[in-house]
Amino acid sequence: MRLPGFLRRSVRRKVTALVVATTLAALVVTALALISYNVHDYRRAKLTEMRTQAEIIGRASAPALAFSDRREATRDLAMLEARPDVLAAGLYGADGALFAAYARDGDTTAIPVRAGRLGETIAGDRLDLVYPIVEDGQRLGTVVLRAQYGLRDRQLAYLLILGAAMAGALVAAVLLSAWLQRAVTEPIQGVADAARRVVDRRDFSVRAGRTSDDEIGMLADAMNRMLADLEREIRERRDAEEALRIVDRRKDEFLATLAHELRNPLAPIRNALYLMQAPGSDARVTSEARAIIDRQVRQMVRLVDDLLEVSRITTGNLALRRERVELRGVASAALEAVEPIMRERGHRLTVDLPPAGLTINADPTRLAQVFLNLLNNAAKFTPPGGRIDFSLEVKDGEMTGRVKDNGVGIAADMLDPIFEMFAQADRSLERTTSGLGVGLSLSRRLIELHGGRLEGRSEGPGRGSEFIVRIPAAGVSGPEAAGDGPGVVAEAGVRPSPRFGSQRTPPPIVTTPSRAEKLCRVLVVDDNADFADTLGRMLKSLGHQVRVEHDGLAGLAAARTFRPDIAFLDIGMPGLNGYDLARRLRAFPSTSGIVLIAVTGWGQSEDRQRARDAGFDEHVVKPLEMDRLQSLLGRMG
Amino acid sequence: MLLAPASARAQMEQEVKAAYLFKFLSYVEWPAAAFGGPHAPFVIGVLESEEVRGALADIVRGREVQGRPVEVRRLRDGETTEGAHVLFVGREATASLPQLVGRPGLLIVGEEEALDRGAMINLLRIENRIRFEVAPQAAERSGLHISSRLLALAYAVRAAAP
Repeated sequence: MRLPGFLRRSVRRKVTALVVATTLAALVVTALALISYNVHDYRRAKLTEMRTQAEIIGRASAPALAFSDRREATRDLAMLEARPDVLAAGLYGADGALFAAYARDGDTTAIPVRAGRLGETIAGDRLDLVYPIVEDGQRLGTVVLRAQYGLRDRQLAYLLILGAAMAGALVAAVLLSAWLQRAVTEPIQGVADAARRVVDRRDFSVRAGRTSDDEIGMLADAMNRMLADLEREIRERRDAEEALRIVDRRKDEFLATLAHELRNPLAPIRNALYLMQAPGSDARVTSEARAIIDRQVRQMVRLVDDLLEVSRITTGNLALRRERVELRGVASAALEAVEPIMRERGHRLTVDLPPAGLTINADPTRLAQVFLNLLNNAAKFTPPGGRIDFSLEVKDGEMTGRVKDNGVGIAADMLDPIFEMFAQADRSLERTTSGLGVGLSLSRRLIELHGGRLEGRSEGPGRGSEFIVRIPAAGVSGPEAAGDGPGVVAEAGVRPSPRFGSQRTPPPIVTTPSRAEKLCRVLVVDDNADFADTLGRMLKSLGHQVRVEHDGLAGLAAARTFRPDIAFLDIGMPGLNGYDLARRLRAFPSTSGIVLIAVTGWGQSEDRQRARDAGFDEHVVKPLEMDRLQSLLGRMG
Repeated sequence: MLLAPASARAQMEQEVKAAYLFKFLSYVEWPAAAFGGPHAPFVIGVLESEEVRGALADIVRGREVQGRPVEVRRLRDGETTEGAHVLFVGREATASLPQLVGRPGLLIVGEEEALDRGAMINLLRIENRIRFEVAPQAAERSGLHISSRLLALAYAVRAAAP
């Protein structure tokens, strides 16, 4: 839609047009009033003047009329020569007959012979006045004056003056309005500029300056408030989107981690089954394979349990079944469950428990789960042979449980994030621990459901950490907690149990190599000992020469001395990760020719790409099937 | 007018004279003492001129001058002129003029060279019109003032009386 020209112009020009229009209207009305007044006033003044003139002529010529002296009367009329506007005049006797006449141009023929009726007539520029001559109450006669009315000339001069005055007034009004309108247009301009900047640059931090206290100021305020609201909403939306993205990324990471963590136990189970099925496998091999399968299945059950907890937390179905629980019983359950890993990693565990019979109101399973989780973490994140303290006490209506270790510790900026779902303080490939990153988050939720708090402390990386559980224990019963010191101090100092296959010669599994296969020198490097050892066994059973290592650096050293034809390398390994190991092998002339195969739980396409970039020839996702293994080896021929 | 018969012309002349007598009242000032009061009448005495008196009586009937009624008094030779503001001496009575000179009142005559004999205004027939000549100083001697407007119309103004 096209607006009329006037509406499309800027406010400044509109205001100017407004001022000009209103000033012009006022001036025109004033001028009309003045002109009409002037016409009226001029007529009145002219008539008065002419009547006076007639009166003077009448009086002067009264004696001449009275004594019928035409000569004198004519002379009296000739006085009118002094008045240029009087064109002609006539004196009439009492009988109404022309007595004496006067004409400016000398031509008296136009003067009527008889006097007309008293009064005045204005026709065009002619004014005719018929006036009585009275003396001493006696009507002596009549005087007739014909004069130039002169209104036209007068009006012309008047209009000229008015026009000049109006032009002057208009110019003054425009100049004045140009000066005064800045008070109106500048604030509007400010608001408009701000609005344009917002629209053009999508910049909602722009604010209109408040320059006046009037409606425009209010408009600027309103716009600023709207901008502030908009800015805040956009920021909130952006934050919300960012939060969603983070959650989404965490979930993706979680799923990848989940796949990885599930494949890791699957691979040794697969291998163990191959070993059991292999011809010539004896009872010892079978029992060892069963032990492997048992361990790895337990790990998988733990993972699935964690997965269920995650689902309970995200759907809000995490609930407690609270009852009177005996604290020692709960602690013992957790300790029992954690005993194998403590023993395996050779930690020294100090336990300080309240006396038996002390009960609080809690969900025993969940409480035990929290302690188990904290103890498990301590065991996992403390290098073998570490020291772990577990204490439990009830004091001042509060149960306090502490799990303290001298392990890897936690950086100050990670103390909060580790409690978030799926968070893992160490996301590097060299991390030695496994898990879904659910434990601490779940534990904190469980403690909070108990009305308590779970907090972590650490003096920094490498300086150990401490996790403290506090639960209000109003309904404490049984022996007083703060009584006679520690009830039980138990110590568990166990050397790690020998790993499967290490330090002992595996029994030979006799397998006839297939026709195409060339016998190779094979290096296997994986920190999952069960997987590495079983894979090594399988390869040996195929007749290859095999070397097995459990971390990256050992693998690198073995590659240089053992000179393998082919190497199966895990990616996530302590010391040196698989990618770096591959790069180093490729960089070193004596090892650059090895066929490198990545065997890992990380199975996404970007993982494959990273493997290729690092120099791997193949990327295989665990578990490694026998067919696949044989086809890989077959290519060596 | 020129073709009018002589008698009719004479009568018209008397009527014009009568009108003049009346009109002179407007151009002459009398001393206040000449009147009995503010509304006392003007008295015009006509000596031995019945035509003029009759015409004048017709003219003044019902008329006022300066708020005063006008009264016409017929006078005979020898009668007193006391109380008359205007005294017109007809042609037949010019002989008694010397006795009238010096009396109060405006002395008007209609006779050649009357001014020389003490008249204040003299009515004359000139070019077939009735004109008048004036001797203002003679009037002044009797306490009368003749308006200059009247003098402007006079056929002649006698500057100084002997």
